[in-house]
Amino acid sequence: MTRITENSITKYFYSYTPIILLFISVLNEFDFNYLGMDYFSFNFSYILIFYYSLKKSQSLGYGLIFIAGLFNDVVLSMPLGISSLIYLLICGFAAYLRNITLRPSLIKDWIFFLITISVVNSLLYTILTFILSFKIDYFYFAANTIFTFLLYIIFSYLFDFYENKIIGRAND
Amino acid sequence: MAPSRDDFIIAIRSAFLKKGNQQRFSLLGLIFFSIIFLTLGSFNFKAIDYLKIGIKEIVYRSSFIVSTPENFIKNNFLKFSDHLNHYKDYKKLKYELKDLKSKDLSKTIINLENVKLKKLIDDYFITSNEIFAKVLIDKQSPFLRSFILNKGSKNNIKLGMAVLDGIHLVGKVVEVNYLTSRVLLLSDINAKIPVSLQPGDIQAIMSGTGKEKGILQYIKNINLIKNTKEILVYTSGAGGLFKSGIPIGKIKEAQISNNNERIVDFFIDFSQLKYVKVLSFSKEKSPLQEPNEDEIKSLNIQIAEMNAAKETIKVLLGEKNISKEIRIKIEEENNLLKNKIITLQKTMSLAKKTITKHEDQKKEIKFLELNLLYGHKCRKSNFNRLYKVGTPEYRTCVLNKGQKKN
Repeated sequence: MTRITENSITKYFYSYTPIILLFISVLNEFDFNYLGMDYFSFNFSYILIFYYSLKKSQSLGYGLIFIAGLFNDVVLSMPLGISSLIYLLICGFAAYLRNITLRPSLIKDWIFFLITISVVNSLLYTILTFILSFKIDYFYFAANTIFTFLLYIIFSYLFDFYENKIIGRAND
Repeated sequence: MAPSRDDFIIAIRSAFLKKGNQQRFSLLGLIFFSIIFLTLGSFNFKAIDYLKIGIKEIVYRSSFIVSTPENFIKNNFLKFSDHLNHYKDYKKLKYELKDLKSKDLSKTIINLENVKLKKLIDDYFITSNEIFAKVLIDKQSPFLRSFILNKGSKNNIKLGMAVLDGIHLVGKVVEVNYLTSRVLLLSDINAKIPVSLQPGDIQAIMSGTGKEKGILQYIKNINLIKNTKEILVYTSGAGGLFKSGIPIGKIKEAQISNNNERIVDFFIDFSQLKYVKVLSFSKEKSPLQEPNEDEIKSLNIQIAEMNAAKETIKVLLGEKNISKEIRIKIEEENNLLKNKIITLQKTMSLAKKTITKHEDQKKEIKFLELNLLYGHKCRKSNFNRLYKVGTPEYRTCVLNKGQKKN
């Protein structure tokens, strides 16, 4: 596989891919409802933010994540600031894992991702249901968490492939 | 124990407080900022509202553009599915069309009567401010069932307006921006609609489930009418937001006897909506004043005309049936007469034959009588040159009573 190192414009464009993907995912939501699969949904933004905060912290700025969260709130008609809070907490968890990890392992990252999304989704559910009186289907929420967790490993391989083989950028 | 706790604190501090290599903002600072946003937003702080409105105007348009590739894939997928189901749908539609055609005339009469009665009971039925809008973003997330329309306060869209697809209810407007607005679908878990169940006129509240179905609430002590094929769900008009009688969905036969969960199947598929009608219903101020009485009169006339037309059709159908019966009888009689004619013709030919035979016999008898009297005058012998017995000349001679002298 040819690495993109020669052309500086292409390199510049490819380095912004995570940010572009994040904004597309919050504006588009990648739902697959038209396939008619009940309960199938996953949160691509969580995977993207966790992976890039853990492995390539320089690729996603906290400020941009904060703005993406605001956009997500508007698209999903949620109280302004809640998605930003959740996204930034995921960043915090990822940064903590990065600080304590000496020998990175995908399985450990995966397990820690489960803990992270369980905590942030519990917090989200608590805030929305008990403080802001939103009514949320708990099973959808749980299914979303499970599918997000399961798909992390696949996306992690894809992002690794993209970063190491296509761009040729080393992990943090 | 102390060093490990110190390590944990250092790691946390480093994660949340220390700015990364290329990070311009502190994570903790942004988290506080989010919490401030959230708190002020929940108190409807004006600055947050303005910010939200500004973001909405940008995000909804951007989202529409960003969703274009996914919408393209989605539309193609749906087209492909439609294509596969084409024949089945065609058969179903054909059957439905036949059924609907047969109900059409009665429905028109019932509608007119309905309008008249609604006027009399002072119900909401006048629609005003009807706006057609395009569905800009249709994001059916598991947590929220809503979509964005391309019309906002600029186009007189107001909060709480009803959104319809044809005659079926889709939802209501819950958020209005300058150029866009958000519609909460009936399937959303937060949607609560007062409904009326027919037959039986049972009042209930229908809630969304977050899926493509609704569920009835607050009818625990009432048993639905059993032995009914299906129960239709309409808006009841209670609460004054929607007019009564807007079709929503139906409860299937299997669900009627289920007292725990009565699932409502919506008439429309919310994921297929592209254009919708947004409208509000206003109450007629004084429904029994002069002009309305005129209207009622005109409606009465219309109903009478329709009834007369129906009667005429009935009479004509009766006449048609009678004519058909008469035609069948005439045909039967005709066949009988034809048979009689054939029989009579046969009898006649037999009679003719008999008459001919009889005449021949009569001629023969006359000949024999004359033969006795005048045979000797015609019979050939050795002494004359008359005719041989049995020859035609002999017969002529006998009938002429002997040989004629020239």
